[in-house]
Amino acid sequence: MLGSLWRRRGRLNRMDGFQKLLTLLLIVLGAFMLLPIVYIFNHAFKPYHELFVYPPTFLVREPSLQNVNELLAVTSRSTVPMIRYLFNSVFVSGLAVVLVTGVSALCAYPLSKHRFPGAGIVFAAILLTLMFAPEVVQIPRYLVVSELGIMNTYFAHLLPLMAMPIGVFLLKQFMDQVPDSLLEAARIDGASEFFVFWRIAVPVCMPAVATVAILAFQNAWGNVETSALFMLDDEMKSFSFFLSTLTNNLANNVAMQGAAAVAALIMFVPNLIVFVILQGKVIATMAHSGIK
Amino acid sequence: MASISIQHLYKRYGKDKQAVVNDFHLDIKDKEFLVFVGPSGCGKSTTLRMIAGLEDISEGEVYIGEQLVNHLPPKDRDIAMVFQNYALYPNMSVYENIAFGLRLRKQPRHEIDLAVRRAARVLEIEPYLNRKPKELSGGQRQRVALGRAIVREPSVFLMDEPLSNLDAKLRVQMRMELIKLHKTLGATFIYVTHDQIEAMTMADRIVVMKDGVIQQIDTPETVYTSPNNRFVASFIGSPGINFIEGKITEGAGDRLHFSTSRFSLPVTKEAAEAMRRHNKVDRRVTLGVRPEHVGPEGLYSDSVFTAVYKVSELMGADRFLHLDIGQDSLLVARVDAHYRCEENERLRIVLDMSKALFFEPDSGERLK
Repeated sequence: MLGSLWRRRGRLNRMDGFQKLLTLLLIVLGAFMLLPIVYIFNHAFKPYHELFVYPPTFLVREPSLQNVNELLAVTSRSTVPMIRYLFNSVFVSGLAVVLVTGVSALCAYPLSKHRFPGAGIVFAAILLTLMFAPEVVQIPRYLVVSELGIMNTYFAHLLPLMAMPIGVFLLKQFMDQVPDSLLEAARIDGASEFFVFWRIAVPVCMPAVATVAILAFQNAWGNVETSALFMLDDEMKSFSFFLSTLTNNLANNVAMQGAAAVAALIMFVPNLIVFVILQGKVIATMAHSGIK
Repeated sequence: MASISIQHLYKRYGKDKQAVVNDFHLDIKDKEFLVFVGPSGCGKSTTLRMIAGLEDISEGEVYIGEQLVNHLPPKDRDIAMVFQNYALYPNMSVYENIAFGLRLRKQPRHEIDLAVRRAARVLEIEPYLNRKPKELSGGQRQRVALGRAIVREPSVFLMDEPLSNLDAKLRVQMRMELIKLHKTLGATFIYVTHDQIEAMTMADRIVVMKDGVIQQIDTPETVYTSPNNRFVASFIGSPGINFIEGKITEGAGDRLHFSTSRFSLPVTKEAAEAMRRHNKVDRRVTLGVRPEHVGPEGLYSDSVFTAVYKVSELMGADRFLHLDIGQDSLLVARVDAHYRCEENERLRIVLDMSKALFFEPDSGERLK
């Protein structure tokens, strides 16, 4: 115990003044970044009189499940059971993660590792779509979905999410770093092109794949647009949409603020879990890649 | 049978671009150890990659055995390749790396296991079979890459500078092991390197390349003693061959001399005939002589001249003297390690004219 403390001190002693200052600064910044998360967790368990206390407090003093009960009461009054919304969201988000990473990787691989005429233009066009605000494409997107006749289906939830230019960009940039000889070695060993992609390129790019998966999950989990625009029946709508209808128009209301606080926590937690799981993967694969 | 025949091979990137590989024509015998050597960008790797099928062929034909392979994918060419950066699959263990090619060929599990363990024993990597490539040193990684190639038992091994990422000592050791491996496997080896020492030590035949064109194809000994041109002479050998600019003059008794502004050396009878044949009397030529054929007076009596000692390099058993003889570059002579002299001392130097080579000063072609 004392020994480990001594070693730690030793490491601190090796730093010069600037490094110590930098470390301190990063610790402060890290703590600052943590504040919203701490706030969300505490807020959800504050009883009403604490929710509206002035000045607002970060930490809860008398934690209670009052807000949870309020949310449950509200959801029990709705015509569609909450579990249905939750299923829709989990199903769509899970499928979106698989499809988005798959489509992005399949798109990035030839752009990065194969030479074909027009590759530059295709990549430029994909990057160009990053410039459009989501509102701009809402109407064309609606037209596409309705013309395809997939309104009110899970496919309409997924299709707009599937093209994720930032995912293609990330994966392509990462694949550019993978030495060609790795893929060539596999080809000489007798692997088919898809096998090379699936068993060599994708595993080697795992850090980027994990990053894209995180982004895809966040996108899909928090998505209310597809439910609002393409879903006609209530039982096809997502959990995030349901929660947003609960907590909308609450700007100057006292009622339901407790339910809203719990809803915010519920929306946040899966993101945190996915991030924590995949973040470990990101670091592990980067350290174990053995490319460098 | 895995002889390889390469017929007038060209590689161009873009239609009207200059050829990177220009009229490469060569027959490689079965079980031969052939080395492509040349400076970087000379097209040696591109040629190898065309043989492997990793690069499209712009023009010409490649036969492996009797089969034309121009349009065959790499996996159907019965080849294995070892890359400079090892190209091990980072997500798989050493065992998986070696077994990968066999698994793809759907061999039975026990055969794969046998083959992998045998290769691992030969290459002395048995203790590392369960490790990931990143946990291995450079030398061990290179062995794994070799293991991956040999388990497939291909008839042709292609190696693209496999030793360049290793340290000097390990490189010498791996060179010997590659020679042994070639003897045991009885396969055709094509080896690409920019290191002339690797070429000299391992090759049955060397192909010297420059700017996409073959300069000479010969045994290491012939390439060293009888280079086709100035480029080959300068590229092979360490330290490099000495070039002395001068003129052929007619001396007493019909004998020809090689003369510079400072000295004049008699030319041998055979060389004299060649000079007359090429009409070089009273014309400029370049004389090439290797450092081991230059030395202090006492060896060959009729070709003595004076040089000013500048610096020396001790190589252990030998010492290389750098001497000023009034040329643009210093003359290098190989002497015994115990040889001592003062800076700027004037030395009596002899040159073995029977070993001297003569080159056309402009084109660099050998005059023989």
